[in-house]
Order: sequence, then structure tokens, then C-alpha cells
Amino acid sequence: MVASRIAFISEIKKKPVTEQYPYKPISVPEGFRGKPVIDPEKCIGCGACVNACPPGALSIYDEGNYRVVKLFLGRCIFCGRCQDVCPMGAVRLTDMFELASLSRDDLVQEVRLLLEKCSLCGKAFATRREVRHVEEKLDPEQRWLAHLCPRCRALVSAKMIGYARGCNR
Amino acid sequence: MRRIDRRSTWVFHLNSGSCNGCDIEVLNMFAPRQDAERLGVKLVGSPLHADVIVFTGPVTLQALPYVIRALEASAGAVAVLACGSCACGGGIWHDTYNVVGGIDKLYEILKERGIPRPPTVYVPGCPPKPEAMLYGLMLARGLARQKQRKQVYVEEAREK
Amino acid sequence: MRCDEFIAKTGLVDAECVDDSTVLVRAKNVLETAEKLAEYGPRYSTGVGIDYRPINRSYLMHHVLALDKDGLFIVLEASTGDPEPSIKSITPVYPAANWHEREAMDMLGIRFENHPEPYRLILPDDWPEGVYPLRKDYPYDEKPYDPRSIADRAAPRYFSAKTGVGEKRVAAEIPLGPYHPALHEPEYYELIVEGERIVEARYRGFYVHRGMEKLAESRLTYNQIPFLAERICGICGYTHATAYCQAVEKAADIRVPVRAEYIRSILLEIERLHSHLLWFGVAFHLLGFDTGFMITWRLREKIMDLAELLTGNRKTYGLNLVGGVRRDIDEAKARAVLEALDYIEGKFKALIKQVKDMGEIIARTKNIGILTRDEARKLGAVGPHARASGVDIDVRRDYPYAAYKYVDVNVPVMDGCDVLSRILVRYEETLESIRLLRVFIREIPAGGLMAEYGDIPELRIGIGVTEAPRGEDIHYVVTGRENKIYRWRPRAPSYMNLATVPYMLVGEKLANAPIIIASIDPCFSCTDHVIVIDVGSGRKMSLMKALRMI
Repeated sequence: MVASRIAFISEIKKKPVTEQYPYKPISVPEGFRGKPVIDPEKCIGCGACVNACPPGALSIYDEGNYRVVKLFLGRCIFCGRCQDVCPMGAVRLTDMFELASLSRDDLVQEVRLLLEKCSLCGKAFATRREVRHVEEKLDPEQRWLAHLCPRCRALVSAKMIGYARGCNR
Repeated sequence: MRRIDRRSTWVFHLNSGSCNGCDIEVLNMFAPRQDAERLGVKLVGSPLHADVIVFTGPVTLQALPYVIRALEASAGAVAVLACGSCACGGGIWHDTYNVVGGIDKLYEILKERGIPRPPTVYVPGCPPKPEAMLYGLMLARGLARQKQRKQVYVEEAREK
Repeated sequence: MRCDEFIAKTGLVDAECVDDSTVLVRAKNVLETAEKLAEYGPRYSTGVGIDYRPINRSYLMHHVLALDKDGLFIVLEASTGDPEPSIKSITPVYPAANWHEREAMDMLGIRFENHPEPYRLILPDDWPEGVYPLRKDYPYDEKPYDPRSIADRAAPRYFSAKTGVGEKRVAAEIPLGPYHPALHEPEYYELIVEGERIVEARYRGFYVHRGMEKLAESRLTYNQIPFLAERICGICGYTHATAYCQAVEKAADIRVPVRAEYIRSILLEIERLHSHLLWFGVAFHLLGFDTGFMITWRLREKIMDLAELLTGNRKTYGLNLVGGVRRDIDEAKARAVLEALDYIEGKFKALIKQVKDMGEIIARTKNIGILTRDEARKLGAVGPHARASGVDIDVRRDYPYAAYKYVDVNVPVMDGCDVLSRILVRYEETLESIRLLRVFIREIPAGGLMAEYGDIPELRIGIGVTEAPRGEDIHYVVTGRENKIYRWRPRAPSYMNLATVPYMLVGEKLANAPIIIASIDPCFSCTDHVIVIDVGSGRKMSLMKALRMI
């Protein structure tokens, strides 16, 4: 009994473990999964992050001349899959955790990218940045293909293969 | 938003079907390291006594009537702290058959019953750190400034 | 014993090996086969109802039986046609099958003949008849009614005031929940008491049902489900993610690199430490020893810091993908783990040494909440709860997985059958966790983190088991096509352990109810992952029947 009393008193005499937050800031370790931020200069609007996001916090839709990539922090589970799959390294999880907000709207980040229209049918099919990204990987003579929407591209390619094989339809 | 007096903040914890991650972090706020009690925050056993309701969970159909009753009883509360991905936006299961979908969908139901929408602080996270929730409480008390703002980037058309 | 040896030894017909340690028995008469298998003394682990109509127009019920001594799983398959699916219930042979069959009834509409309690288990009270969410033709995001229409549902009242047989008794009902300061999660207990003594106990839970199993089949891909599984429970989420990944890896024959296995085991033990320290804190709080609560949660902060350092978040680690892990543990992190363990071990040992001297705690836990070994075996109790009642089972030793294949695990088993034994078993387990962590950190080999694999073949069965802090956590998976799962059934340990609560509560004083309920370390979110359960509506029961009613 006496031993336990001595032990408890010695506990009380130790230095307090309470951190002084919010009067003093606290640090988080490297690799902490905090708020994801889309770097608007790097994003090409491909939608890989939207596919990978388990709760659907990231969404992508077309509005007017723009493709909008929208990140709703309220539904984000901070898993980091978006960072894993982004081909451009545009989405990064930062170390921010003080995300409290008085309005739901403040939890949104939007990146609006211009859409490219198909040079054949005029339909908007991808963002300009996406097209440019693909163009750079193609040989110069084939770059015009990147400016066609998938349907036109398929039709044109089929025709070219047909001509090459001697069909005249 | 009505400013709370600079006195203690009594908090009622309301779990509407969460996985407990956020709830354990709420409890952690009262553990020695974060020690919310030094800021005057105390957990109480009834919504009638509470200044701030800490809300977790995506609101399951089973819990819905009891959550409504608890919020109706707490009409005197100053703010609701929606903690976590489930409360803020419905979470990873926001669209399943047994989930109403987070606190905003709950507010729509409350509105039809004539209960005004209480001032709400959204604390994202899965689960949010206890410090993040303390920050949210300070925001609710008017003692901290909000850091998170909406960001919109619009690509400018350039010459081809 | 290997699967083929088992088939040879028992001479079962219609049995095939799914893999080394899983036997699939396609029973023509499921009750007969169940009785035949009962001779080998298996433990009932889980039951899975599957809508197999898109494949062969039938409904299947897979009962998974575990032979712990041999490290073997027997999947007993019963199939039935469409419409009016009906299967014989095996609850008379395996009482632990009770809830699992009720769940299949609720979610799939399979009727179980001769089931002793064919009531709703999971779905809300007002869910319409004839609507079965887990059937393949029901969309995952459709609600059968507008939530507004149930907003005025009254509080549940499942007791009739009558107890016992004929005599006039003075009894009072004490509802506990769904929201109550002693409870951290919404659940609802009804206790009928005479004076201080509890006479009858009923539990109505599943407030946390979120429709996960259906969601996993519909909107999510293989590699998104670990994140869903992790949020089944905020305390033991990582074991769920690991069990799921193991199930898929087993079904698809994916070999996880050894280093990834060690990393998984390290995080699993870290989770066990945090969970047990959390439980000690809560138990001390319920016993009135708040100093103990504060001390244990202060020690626990070291573990949370470790988790944050290794995975990026205090609780949801997000480390698993099918085939391996996403992050590595380097020298600095390994050293941080060892330092934290050194800090915690001494202080925790000192605390418990003092607690063992505290007469108040001993008085409130010794011989309280007795669960005999027979009851524990019959109801399929698992984990420290079962080990405190003399049942010697532990998945890490019986069905070795991850890095437990390469080490020896000491399993503490005690005979006290009371709350004090449960405290002591968890204490021993905490020390064992610390020892195992040191071994893992020392012996982790170099290597890759993620296996390479191609398409996952469809319609394969995989069983993944882990030892969660609360007991055996089993995930049953049937793979599907187009990167999606066909059926996923996570069965958390608390599902089995909750069945034992009425047995422990009846006859005890009311004031002991919270600590008895807490002593099974209940995790209601783990149990409620599928659907809300609905205990029968106000049926009058004799005392004996009520004892089996959970």
C-alpha cells in the first residue's frame, strides 16, 4: 500500500506531458498524411485520381469550356491513393491538419482546365493539357491523331488500315 | 455565428453510427497529452447540458430517429462540430442503402421538422487528430482564425 | 494436417481442396453432414450467404468450421434453388450458427428450416418485408423508403415485463442506450432486474450497419476495399485490412514478399498494443480507477506517435494493398519503435503490479461475470475472452499468417473465467506483443514490398484469418470479374463474443453490468458492419429462452 502511494506521488512529481496546443504549434512526422492539394500547374485533368479515390471525394465533370477537377475535403479519407496514381505528381498530401471550417464550401478545391475540341467533329473530349501531354510522346507525323476524339480517331484509323490493305470502301 | 462566452465549453458526444475512430480521438482529447479540460472543455452526459455537440458518424437509418431526438433536445447548443469524413460528407459509404449521408443530409430532414440549422464547424479527417478537433472547438468559440479556404484555379486561354 | 490428408482420413464424399488448408464439402443433406463433422469437434467460425444466381441460379450458404488443432478450415456448402430458397438450419448442432443464419435470412431471404429464432437481425425495424439488400438485383444505393418517414420511430422496447414462471415478481426494466454516458457507441441493452440482481438481458444493436458488404461488391475495386475494411472499426481496422488482403492473396495465389509480411506483422502488433492499452484505460475508468485511465492513455500516446511515424496517421494506417504494403520501415523508424517499447514496458508493468495489490479492483473483478469453458466453446467465443475461460485458441499459432509463420507465439490461457482473468490475459498479451515486436524488428529481412501479379481469377474462394486484439477475425472472399469482388464477408470477433454477454450478465448485480460488458472488449462497429440487426419485437419469452437471445 505504501509502495503504491509512493509510486503515485512520484508520478505526479514528473514533468507534465500535456502539450501546449493550441498556444504552441505541434509538429507532425515526415510522411504524415494531411490535406491533399492539387498543384494546378501540373494537373492535366486525366481523372486517374477520381478513379482511385475510394470515397469519391475527388470528382471530375465538364462545365462550359472547362473540365473541372473538384476535391471535397469533407469526404476525403486521407488515404493517399490519389498521390499514388497521379501520373504528373500533381496531387500531394501535405502536412496540414488544421482544416476546420465554418462552411462546407470552404472545404473545396477546384481546378478548371480548358477543354480541347475534336478537329473533326468539334466535340470537346479532353483537356488541352492532356492532349499536349500525349502529343509530346508521339512522333511528329502522328501528332494530329491526338487532336481527334476517341470515336473519330477509331473511324479514321480504321479507314487508314482499310486503305492500306486495299479495301476501297 | 453567436459568440460563445469565454467560459467553459461543455461538450456532448453524439455517435450516429461511426466506426469509432473519431470517437476514440474525441475521448483522447481528454487524455493527459491533449488535455482539453485545461481549456474548459468537459464531456457531459446529456445534450441538454451541452454547448457544443460533437457529432460523428454518417447517420445510419437505425440511428436516425435517436439522433434527431438528441439534436431537438439540444436546441440551446451553440454549435455542432461535425468530426470526420463520415460526418462532414458521408464518408466512404455516403451512398449506401442504410446511410443517410452525413450531417448536411441530416439538416435537410431537420429543416422539414422546423428545426433551424445550427452553426456547424466541419472538421475533416479520418480520423481527425485530437489537435485538429481542439482547433475546431477553438474556431467554434471564436478564439481561432480559420485557415482553410476554398481555392479555385481557372486555366487561362493562351495563344496556340 | 493438410487438406488431402483430412479428406482421406474422414472419407468425405463431395469434398475438394480449395487450397492447402481449406476443404470445401458440398453437402446434399447439410444437417447430416454437419452432424458427421461434429464428431471432429470443430469450432463454428462464420456463415456466409451468397447469391449465386448469376452463375448457376442458386443460393449458397457456406458454413465455415475451424479445426484449430489441425489448422484446417472446412467450408460446408448448402445450396438451394430460386425462388423460395430454403435450407435446413444447423443451429441445433452448432448453436453459434444462430446469428449467421439469421443474417443470411435478413439480407438474402434464405429461409432456414427449424431455426429456433427466425427473426430479423441486421436491418432496421422498419425495413419492408421481401426486400433483400444483398441480392444481386438490388442496387447498393437505393433506399426502400424515405428516411424522413422513420424519423419518429419510437425507442425500442423488447421486453415484456414478465419473467419466470407464474410467480409474482417485482421487476424493473432498465434501458441502457442507445445514447448513454457509459457507452461510446450506440447500442441498446435492456436489463430486467429484481432489486439489484439482473434477471434477463437483451441486446439490440447494429446501429452501425453501413452496408459495406454490398458497397464492396458494387462501387469498389480490389485495391479500394482495404481502405473500406480499415474503417470497419476505428480500433482494430488494420487487422481487417490485412485479413481481407490475405483472403484475396490466398484466392489468387499471390505470394507476398517476406519483408512486407514482417511490416504487416509489426503494424499488427502495434495495433494490438494500442488496443489493449485503450481497453485497460476504459476498464479502469469503469471500475472507478480514473488515474489508471489517464496513465494508460498517456502511455498509449507513444504508440500513436509510432503509428503516425510509420504510416502517416494515428489510427487508419492505410498501409495495405493486395499483394503487399505501401511504405517501408527504415533504420530510424525501427529505432523509434524500440525506444517507445522500452519506455512503455517498464511503466506499464509497474502500473499493473500496483493494480494487482489494489483490493478494490480485485473485489470488483474476481468471480464477476463468469463464463464457463463449455459455454465459451459452445458459443464460439474467441480471443482473450475465450482464453480467460480456458479455451486454448489463437490464430497466430493455429493458422500462422504473415510473419507469425517464422516465430513462436506464447499464448496465455487462464482458468478463472471471470473479469479478473480477462484483465490478466490481456496483460500477458501486451507483454508478449512487446516481445514479438522486438523480435520482428531484429529479424526483418531485406526485400521488396509489393508482389507482382496478373489478373485475379474469378469465382475463387479465399479465407483470410488474423488474430485481432479481440480474437479471431475472419474474412471470407469470393473473387469476381472486372477487378471487383463477388462476395466479401468480414466477421469480426465481437460478433461471436457478444453472444456470451447474457450468460455473463444474468445473476449479477446491476452495478457490475458495465464492467462485464466491457470485459469482452466489445467493438460494436466491427459487429455491425453489415446491416442493422433487429431483435424480435416484444415476444414473450421464458427465462431459459431469453438466456439464448442475443
